[in-house]
Amino acid sequence: MSIITTTRLTRRFGPITALDGLTLELPSAGVIGLVGPNGSGKSTLIRTLLGLIRPTEGSATVLGSPITSPADYAARVGVLIESPAFVAGLSAHANLVSLARLRGLPLARVDAVLAQVGLQGRDREPVKRFSLGMKQRLGIAAALLSDPELLILDEPTNGLDPAGIVEIRELLRELGRNGRTVIVSSHQLSEIEAVCDHLVVIRFGKLVFSGPMAEMLKRTREHIDIAPEHVADLDRLQAALTAGGWAVAAVDDVLRVTASISRSADLNRAAMAAGITLRRLELAQDNLEEIFLEMTGRTDGELASGRAATNGTVAA
Amino acid sequence: MIGALRSELTRLAQPRLLLTWFGLMALFAAMVNTIMVTFVSGGGSLPPGAPGVAFPTLAQMESPSGLMAGLAAASSMFGVITLSFWALATATDYSSGLIRLLVAAEPRRWRLLAAKVAALALVTAAATTVAAVVNVLVVMPAAGTAGISTAAWGTDLLNVVVSAWLHLYIAVCVWGVIGLVIATLARSAAVAISVGVGYLLVVESLVKMLKDVPSDWLLGTTLGAVASGGTSAVSFGAALTLALGYVTLGLVAAGLVYIRRDVTD
Repeated sequence: MSIITTTRLTRRFGPITALDGLTLELPSAGVIGLVGPNGSGKSTLIRTLLGLIRPTEGSATVLGSPITSPADYAARVGVLIESPAFVAGLSAHANLVSLARLRGLPLARVDAVLAQVGLQGRDREPVKRFSLGMKQRLGIAAALLSDPELLILDEPTNGLDPAGIVEIRELLRELGRNGRTVIVSSHQLSEIEAVCDHLVVIRFGKLVFSGPMAEMLKRTREHIDIAPEHVADLDRLQAALTAGGWAVAAVDDVLRVTASISRSADLNRAAMAAGITLRRLELAQDNLEEIFLEMTGRTDGELASGRAATNGTVAA
Repeated sequence: MIGALRSELTRLAQPRLLLTWFGLMALFAAMVNTIMVTFVSGGGSLPPGAPGVAFPTLAQMESPSGLMAGLAAASSMFGVITLSFWALATATDYSSGLIRLLVAAEPRRWRLLAAKVAALALVTAAATTVAAVVNVLVVMPAAGTAGISTAAWGTDLLNVVVSAWLHLYIAVCVWGVIGLVIATLARSAAVAISVGVGYLLVVESLVKMLKDVPSDWLLGTTLGAVASGGTSAVSFGAALTLALGYVTLGLVAAGLVYIRRDVTD
C-alpha cells in the first residue's frame, strides 16, 4: 500500500509554480529521502500534504485519506517542518506538554520522547537557552510524540554536531525498521544516501526520480583519478590520453578518466608511453551528490528558477 | 476542544509574560487611582475628548460605587494593555513558526482559534482581578489622605465590586479580541499594538473633537460605557450590544482568515 499518493498536484503562488502536476506514489515503511535543489517544491509538497496550504489543482492522499481532510490523518503523522518552532520562554518539557495536550496524548509520552532524543536532564531549561542542535532534537521529539505511523522530517540533522548526526541517523534507521515510514527532506545528500531506502528527486516542482535508493545508485559511474609526478605535465598527459581515446576531464591538479578499474593498467601504460610517470592512480565512484547534480543541474535551484521566471518559462 | 484549551493555557503560562501583563495592570490601577483621587479632590475636570481616561466627579467618588471608580476611569488603558497581550500571544504563533506545528497537529483550525480566545479570556479574568485588588488597596488610603469621604463605600459592597469587575472584564475582553483580530490579519504584534494605541490616542480623540460628528459609536467610547456600567450618553445595554457587534464582526473576520489562509510562514 502507498502511504502517500499525489495525482497531478499543482500549486501556484502568483506567477511561480511551486508544484507542477506532480504525480507520485510513496511506499509504506522504511526511510524515504526527498531531495531537490532550493526552490524545487519540497517544502510546498510537505505543507500541501499536511493541509497547511491548499493545492491549486490535483489531488493527494496521506495514509489513505484525501488531503482535503487532514484531520483524518493528523493524529497518525508526526512532523518537523523547517526550523523547529517552540515557545522560547517555556521549558522543553512544557512545550511538549502543550503539544501532547493538543493531541490528547498521555503526558508519559513527553518523558519517553525526551529520552529517545537524548534531552532528558535538560528538559526543564527554557528553550531560548538551547543551541540549534538541541532545538532540532526537541523538534524531532515533538514529531515522535504521537508515536506516528508517518514521520515527515525537514532537515532533521540541521545544526547537529557530527556525533549528533550519527545519533539521529541511527534513530531514523531504527524508526524506519519498525514498520514506520519516515520521509526525510534534506540537502545533506550523504545523510540521505546513508539512511534512505527510497529516494524522491524533484526539480521545478516536477518529479525527476522516484524509486529504491539501490536503483539510483546503479547510475553511478566508475572513474579513475590520476596525477602526473610533475604538475607541469598535466596538460601534456591530458592531450595524450584524449588522443588515445580516453574520456578525460581535469579537476584541479588531477585528471578524471571515465573508466572501470579493470582498465587502470592500460591507463598507466598509456601515461608511460607518453613519457609521464604517475604519482597517483586512484579508483573512484560517483556518489549520490554527483548523480544528483547530474540530474538536477549544477546551478542553485532558486537562481535557476528566478532566471526561468524572468524568461517566462517554468519556475519553482 | 478541551485539549486545545489546555494546550493554549500551557503556552500562556510563561512567568515573564504573566508577570509583565499582571504587573502593568497593577501599575496602571495604582497610578490611575492615585492621580484620580488627587484630581477629583482638587475639583479638576478633564477636557472633552481626553484620551484614555474618564474621571468621575467628587459626588460619584463619594457614592458607594466610588470604591471601584478607578477601574472604569482607566478602562481604555487596561484595554490597550489587554489588546497588546492578546495581539502578542496571537502574532507570536506566526513569528515563531509555531502555527505550522499547531495546524499540523490540529487541522480543525477553528478549534485552535476558539481555544486561544477562551484561554486568553481566562488569563484576562485573572489580570482584571489583579487590577481590581490593586484598585481597592490604593484608592482607600489615597481617598483618606485626599479628604474624600469613604463613608458610603461599604454599602452594597459585593454588588459594587462584582459589577465593576464584570463591566471592566467585558470591556477589556472586547479590546483583547480587537488585538487578536488585528494580529491575525497582520500576523504582527507590533502592527496590532500600534493600530490599537494609535486609534485610541489619535483617531478617537480627533473624532471626539469634531462637534458635529456623533462619537457614541466609537470603540473606546463604547467600551468606556461598558466598563462604567453605562453613561449619561450611552446606556449599558446599548453599549454592550454595540460591543458584541464589534466582537462578532472581528471574530468572523479573524476566523475566516485563520481558517482559510495558507500557512506559509
